[in-house]
Amino acid sequence: MKGRYPGDLIITLVVALPLLAALPRIARQLEWSWAALCGVLAQGSGILALSTFLAAAMLSVRLPGADRWFGGLVRIWAIHRLLGVCAFVLIMVHVIFIALAPLPVSVDASVASLFPPLAQWPLWLGWAGFAVMVVFIAPTFNFFGTLHYQRWKRLHLLSAPALVLGLAHGMVFAPDTTLWWLLGLLALAAIIWRKGLSPFLARKPYRVDSVDFLARDVVELNLLPEGNGIAWQPGQFVYLTPMESSLAAGYREEHPYTIASSPGDRFMRIGIKGIGDATEALLDIKPGARVRVEGPYGTFLNEPGIHSRQLWIGGGIGITPFVSGAREWRDGHPTATDVALVYLANRPERAYYLDEMSAIADASDGIEVFAHYSSTEGVLTQDYLQAQCPDFREREVYLCGPLGMIRHVEALLLRAGVPRQRIHTEAFDFL
Amino acid sequence: MSASRIAYTAFVAFLSVVATLLVVSLVSEDDAYVPPEKKGPNEGRAVFTLDEVREHDHAESCWKVIDGVVYDVTDYIPRHPSDEDAFLRWCGREATQAWSGHSARAESMLRDYRIGALAGHEPKEEPPAETEPAISTETLTGAAEALTRRQGSVLLSLGSGEYLDGVYRGNFIDRGHIQVSIQFRLEDGKLHDLGYRHLYYRDVDYLKLDDDEPLQAVMRQHEQILSQLEGQPLTDIFRLYRPAEVVDDIDGYSGATLRGAKILHAIRDGLNRGVYSW
Repeated sequence: MKGRYPGDLIITLVVALPLLAALPRIARQLEWSWAALCGVLAQGSGILALSTFLAAAMLSVRLPGADRWFGGLVRIWAIHRLLGVCAFVLIMVHVIFIALAPLPVSVDASVASLFPPLAQWPLWLGWAGFAVMVVFIAPTFNFFGTLHYQRWKRLHLLSAPALVLGLAHGMVFAPDTTLWWLLGLLALAAIIWRKGLSPFLARKPYRVDSVDFLARDVVELNLLPEGNGIAWQPGQFVYLTPMESSLAAGYREEHPYTIASSPGDRFMRIGIKGIGDATEALLDIKPGARVRVEGPYGTFLNEPGIHSRQLWIGGGIGITPFVSGAREWRDGHPTATDVALVYLANRPERAYYLDEMSAIADASDGIEVFAHYSSTEGVLTQDYLQAQCPDFREREVYLCGPLGMIRHVEALLLRAGVPRQRIHTEAFDFL
Repeated sequence: MSASRIAYTAFVAFLSVVATLLVVSLVSEDDAYVPPEKKGPNEGRAVFTLDEVREHDHAESCWKVIDGVVYDVTDYIPRHPSDEDAFLRWCGREATQAWSGHSARAESMLRDYRIGALAGHEPKEEPPAETEPAISTETLTGAAEALTRRQGSVLLSLGSGEYLDGVYRGNFIDRGHIQVSIQFRLEDGKLHDLGYRHLYYRDVDYLKLDDDEPLQAVMRQHEQILSQLEGQPLTDIFRLYRPAEVVDDIDGYSGATLRGAKILHAIRDGLNRGVYSW
């Protein structure tokens, strides 16, 4: 979530504008009485909850290329999730202040203000929206245990009716609904694009040309576009949707994968490790199979204005963005001038891209490759980095791999004195 | 603390608060409405003599008489913005003169400290509405003629916007019957969604009249009153002292029984009760 991006201003505006617009009206009601204060806070939190919810919905649009404005899709999802939490908490704050306002009169009055007669339907619209929100947000935050990814995704569609209910609830009480209409339509357009239109308009048809087996559970798919393909930068990722009903799982389900080929390659190469139903099914995909590709997304390895001396640390299948970067090096168009790549693997046979990476390093100036095997050398240490890459503290550091590895290495780097803003990570933990 | 933990904790706390409110509301047997006014040792006492007031002339107990109303402003002393000596000088005394010039906002705050009336200044009971002649433009005084919205603010003893936004309900009760029950919504000091919940006079329930009943004309006039007020500033209710301005036909069969003042009073009753719901 670090850094500043132009998109942050848009998010801030969407979140703050409705409250700013309502501020003069709310300020007029302000006086030093319990009921008035609670009323003002209830209105303020309600307005902020709705605008935050709308901003979160807008961020779900996932337009290829536009994510760069927000620091990449991974950062967008992190903000989306944060806004979701804020909206959820603000709604509860809003309800509590409504209940608190009449509390000095009596508890009955307080309960009556929360649960009025059904004739006051706008209030019940708010309750209905909140109830739907609890249903779709609970699995996101693991309230009642984790849920299967695809089922979670389907459940998350309930955000659309929750949004409409919340919007209707808020607009009944708003004296001027123009801004709500505008933001509401933008948010709904984002959801409609993502769920209704993008599967047909944004996904490009590709064909599996060949499949390279790298390890028992790892393949690299070599894809060719059937028509206009997409252009990418090293470190970017795409959403891949298999269109083969013969697959054991994952038919027509999209999942994110990092592109492993150089931007100049006519093949889009994607390294896949079988870690779930859908990825395991992809290990058996045959040449000629059709897939759809949407993207590219992300700014990992290709953020503008970045230091040209870099340290890449990749673990497991998280090596793929660096494979793309190294292959670009081989093609003679490197974005950095001096790169040290530390390849983390359990043992030599699990370093499935190492031979190719070493060959590129041998043939090129400015790129070095080190392999670190945890089965013989234990976890990565500061001493190891110091020995292989003595100037690692001055480099821009890129980390990609399993969450546990990222946490360990990030903590190690911070302890070693690498500034936080120079550590870049990419983990698909909730895409 | 992770976002998930925060969301979950907030959700559990939220459910606990709402459940507590519900349970307390359900188990409390006392349904009696507790008025929000402060209850002091003089609760129930409505009339004080000037001698009694004089005993409260110090910072520990400071009463003041303003326009015949007795206020116990002791609790307000630490909050008073100006010089404390000047404020205390008027304790236990008739302080109308010192009070003059305060804002409408100050007026509204003062009401919270009211404890009763000065002997000889008790509120008088209004004469029964039914004995009044039908209101016509001729009976209005010159002062009422000059009623403007600005003066309406004064009559409400408030600046516009002093009442909270929300839905209000009020009644006009006379001769043992609820004659007018009204509901309306205030927003930015403007009236919206006015509607009768009850309209009754001399054994006739006007809300249950058949379409062909001759008294429908009265009902229509009452509806016109509400449609005239829709979207108007609250101060416009004072136009109801002159209903001829707000309805089409005040003469004839129905004219004698249309009293805008009843509706006006039902609205003011609603305002006095405070917000019914948000």
